[in-house]
Amino acid sequence: MIFYRRLPKFDYVKPASEAELFKVISDGRKAHVYAGGTDLLPKLKKRLLPPPDVLIDLKGISDFNYVRIFDGKLRIGPTATIYSVYTSSDVVKHFPILSQAARSIAAFQIQNRGTIAGNICNAVPSADSAPALLVLQANLTLKSREGERDVRIEDFFLGPTRTVLRDGEILREIEIPLLDSESLGLYTKLSVRGRMDLAIVGVATLILKRDGKVKDVRIGLGAVAPIPFRAKKAEEILKDGKITEASINEAAKMAASESSPIDDHRASKEYRLLMVETLVRRSLKKLLGV
Amino acid sequence: MEKKEISFRINGEEVVLHVSPNRTLLEMIREDLKLTGTKEGCGIGDCGACTVLLDGVPVNSCLVLAVEADKKEILTIEGLKENDKLHPVQESFIENTALQCGFCTPGMIMSSYALLKRNKAPNEEEIREAIAGNLCRCTGYVKIIEAVKKASSSIGGK
Amino acid sequence: MEEIFIGDFEFLGKGIPRVDAKDKVTGQAKYAADIEIPGMLWCKILRSPLPHAKILNIDITRAKRVIGVKAIITGKDFQGFRWGWMPATRDEPPLADDKVRYYGEGVAAVAAVDEDTAEEALELIKVDYEELPGVFDPEEALKEGAPVIHEYRPNNISWEFHMDFGDVEKGFSEADLVREDRFATGRVIQGFLEPCSAIAYWEGGGVTIWAAKQSPYFLYRHIAQCFKLPLNKVRVIQPFVGGGFGGTKNDSVAGDFCVVMLSKITGRPVKFIYTMEEVMISARRRHNAIIYNKMGMKKDGTITAMQSKLIADGGAYTAIGPLTMYLTGCISTLPYKLPNFKHDAYRVFTNNPVSAAMRGHGVTHTRFAAEIQMEMMAEELGLDPIEVRLKNAIEAPHETVNKVTVLSCGLKEGLLKLKESNLWKEREKEKRKNHILIGVGVSGTAYLGGARQRGHQAAAAVLRLCEDGSIEYLTGATDAGQGSDTVLLQIIAEELGVPPEQIDIQRVDSAYTPVDPGTYGSRVTALAGEAAMKAARDLKRQLAEIAAKEWNVKPEDIVFKNGKVFVKDNEEKGLPFRKMAQIACYSGSGRVLVGRGHSEYGIEPLDFEKGIGNAGTSYSFTSQLTRVEVDAETGFVKCTDMMIAHDCGKPLNPAIVESQNQGAAVQGLGQAIYEEFKMDKGKTLNPNFADYKIPTALDVPNIEVIHILTEDPNVPYGAKEASEGAIVSSPPSVVSAIHDATGIWFKELPVTPEKIALALREKGRGS
Repeated sequence: MIFYRRLPKFDYVKPASEAELFKVISDGRKAHVYAGGTDLLPKLKKRLLPPPDVLIDLKGISDFNYVRIFDGKLRIGPTATIYSVYTSSDVVKHFPILSQAARSIAAFQIQNRGTIAGNICNAVPSADSAPALLVLQANLTLKSREGERDVRIEDFFLGPTRTVLRDGEILREIEIPLLDSESLGLYTKLSVRGRMDLAIVGVATLILKRDGKVKDVRIGLGAVAPIPFRAKKAEEILKDGKITEASINEAAKMAASESSPIDDHRASKEYRLLMVETLVRRSLKKLLGV
Repeated sequence: MEKKEISFRINGEEVVLHVSPNRTLLEMIREDLKLTGTKEGCGIGDCGACTVLLDGVPVNSCLVLAVEADKKEILTIEGLKENDKLHPVQESFIENTALQCGFCTPGMIMSSYALLKRNKAPNEEEIREAIAGNLCRCTGYVKIIEAVKKASSSIGGK
Repeated sequence: MEEIFIGDFEFLGKGIPRVDAKDKVTGQAKYAADIEIPGMLWCKILRSPLPHAKILNIDITRAKRVIGVKAIITGKDFQGFRWGWMPATRDEPPLADDKVRYYGEGVAAVAAVDEDTAEEALELIKVDYEELPGVFDPEEALKEGAPVIHEYRPNNISWEFHMDFGDVEKGFSEADLVREDRFATGRVIQGFLEPCSAIAYWEGGGVTIWAAKQSPYFLYRHIAQCFKLPLNKVRVIQPFVGGGFGGTKNDSVAGDFCVVMLSKITGRPVKFIYTMEEVMISARRRHNAIIYNKMGMKKDGTITAMQSKLIADGGAYTAIGPLTMYLTGCISTLPYKLPNFKHDAYRVFTNNPVSAAMRGHGVTHTRFAAEIQMEMMAEELGLDPIEVRLKNAIEAPHETVNKVTVLSCGLKEGLLKLKESNLWKEREKEKRKNHILIGVGVSGTAYLGGARQRGHQAAAAVLRLCEDGSIEYLTGATDAGQGSDTVLLQIIAEELGVPPEQIDIQRVDSAYTPVDPGTYGSRVTALAGEAAMKAARDLKRQLAEIAAKEWNVKPEDIVFKNGKVFVKDNEEKGLPFRKMAQIACYSGSGRVLVGRGHSEYGIEPLDFEKGIGNAGTSYSFTSQLTRVEVDAETGFVKCTDMMIAHDCGKPLNPAIVESQNQGAAVQGLGQAIYEEFKMDKGKTLNPNFADYKIPTALDVPNIEVIHILTEDPNVPYGAKEASEGAIVSSPPSVVSAIHDATGIWFKELPVTPEKIALALREKGRGS
């Protein structure tokens, strides 16, 4: 067993344009694309990944760094940092739940480098941006040399650290449709310390209202299943404005039953399930004023 | 693995270097430039001992590749003082006994400095959040938080 | 600047800035990893992936062929050398030779032109192991048929320690209430931010090594023994040290021996730097223990007897374990009156990483158990937690049944201060805010200062007077961050009447500085302080003799104050110190003025076997309040306030003492609710700061430190130990607060949110 202090050897390229990127990405060498590197570099250092021939730095493509509203949607580029997303006035105004979630990731040093795109591509079940993106029904544009394809966020994750991204494909854009109704959202992260922890349970709750009445309730859960997911059965219980203390409790219980957390050294399955119920119930009560 | 030529500014000085792609910014700063003030604690971004400012924002230099320094501006602990005059944050750490073993101190000061640059009068919660990524095992943070508060008033905050 | 009046002093009692602060805030301070020597090679260690296995063969042929590899060594190269804390317990090899006994134990080491090459070479070393059954729980290891880890301890008992004073059975029979409980302390580590590192250079038939050590002279002796060198050929130099907290940096590590050996073979300097993961998996950590505690109490709260049995997980080797076991009992008879006490401690070998010392040492385990049990009993008897402590608290002078003599004790004053505080008085006002339960808890403890072990225990000091009046202070004591350099200079400054800036500290370099037992057991201010004081007085005496001749008075009439040397009650007959220094140095054909001093504590016999006598020069007393807010459903604990009333005698530098107490309390908080190594058959599952959770700036409470001043004649200027008390008092105080909030007594550390949430649910008290 070796405790490595150094990164393995690899080559480095920093394409200046998308065209250059897609030339390099499929030139036959084993490549890893990266932006922030805050997940990739530790993995490479610990030799948890076989060392690539080349690292492709996306930050040379200035067109990739944006967080803006365009054409009725909030669009986040592949190299937009977590800090830029959480402080973006557009995000804060239209999707405060995403700002909350981004803010809860690690600490400033990581937020200044890590990206939201990277957070979901890394696809750990506890990724903090995922539950928020799920309830916001984000759409992901994946792009390769062959062209583009759209994938809904709920179809993006396959399992812990696995996504539908193919070899030679990158996450080109995260699109979040502007909500056409009044909304209230909350991201709650359960951890042991105030910061620097992976979520033991991550709960994103979004309430959509029209004319003062609740139209839609969306619940996104992280760290309690192989992938982040929407607790659809729980949402069903609250559909059509059937909001009472009893239905909220029922929905919370249902959200727990839809979860399948594991026992690991961070927490037990039993505790995680209890916490799903607790946090879903609390956030619903808070947002719905019950 | 071909070395790459990079040019950047560090602590106000222009530098040109050839670095291997797998060299981290931290290794370059410490071993190539001999600026050993920036420390390696955990090497994987969990402790903040390696915090430097890259184009004005605090980052864990153990997680930045040296090649990424190209055309950028880096500020390390050695760059804070002007000639012999210490920066108010450094003075405040001394006056308020905000350090013990000193290993976390360079990173802690860089995070504090970055905070005061973007927020002239931070409240206690904001100070704690700004240094949440800098672990300290010796002080319990109490005097560090006091030192940053006092530095902010001496720089001209509230 | 913080000041506390502790006497008519110019520099003592003042929170002067640390003498090393400027170097540290500018990044100029050099730590071991910052040192570079031309021609230096890098060392990396190959470690065992199995917790218990015979080493059948190590094949280094392919590794040797890697370009840039200069030497490779394995355990056999150390020719059976074993090191340990006592001659009888020298059971640890620098690199495993016959078998590996813990996951991550070193088996081979490479020296190469750079670290990348060294890592590459390690990949090509092939080790054949024969896996052996392992044992990972101390109670399992004690059973018949458990795998034997060391042949010389066939029952796996690494060390035993027994105490028996008074008559515990009689004491229990006199009690109105007797409780027996099982407690457990968790697996925690020092958590210093600076990984182990050293650079060794073998030349001229000897070796120089710059090493991150808080007690460099342990390494000094280990190297001499291992490499059969006379001590004058071993030069250990201590750079700035990035945190110690006992244990690892008070001992040697595999890397130290390897770089010396590799430098000897290659003739070049060799450096190693551990990764933090490597430290967490392979370095020393605190013992974790099971404590069976039994206490007898009368209706009015008087403790009549206590009996404790402690089973500690010692890990794979003995290290300083015997001292740990001794400390689990020797001051259990403090801080409360205890007429009858029996204690049985067992340190058990397992195939886990080696347990050793850590701030608070063996005391932390038994004090935790005793404090919590005492509160449980007080609760049952309807007694107030502070009152029951006041009832039992000792008062100085006091001698315990095992002949621990206490000459000063501020425990009662401290408890009274806590009792008068708003934090305590208002604790019943608000117990619940929606789903947040609020609680306040209290604890008390004693801790020894000026600790001594066995053998050479004296600290020494040398003061060289330069002809311009500046002074060089040579010390063997190490400041690992605790601030001793500053305090020692304050002492010398006070004695000589010159400002600390006029004295330069020459840190440990065994070629020049006097041997010192080391930085542990809160001994530096007490013992190195005594040495510094005596050296200063020795220098003063020499100067006074010269001055006395000048002015025709007796040497006893010469005063050193405010940078001047003058005749008592006649300040005009005087000269600036600098001028006096010049005159003295140039008198006759020139003189060399050197002041020497050494500490002389600890000459009386200490019965290490039975736990009789004083293991330190003096005892601090700490009482602590903690306030917590507990989320009744998630179990999340927010610690909002701590109030620490500590008696360290006289705080020579109140700012440093305060900071030390705050740091220790936070370290204790970490132990109480956040930190824990999760193990799976000897493998550490969370060897990183993300999952081994030391408190961050967002987790720490407001901490108020109250200085209780007492008079102790046994220590220089009355300064006893500071802050090891606070790391002992924190966990029980936190756990007591959690009980106050939730109604549940948690007896196993750490008390995590999960444990709290599930326990509350079971009790039906969740909202």
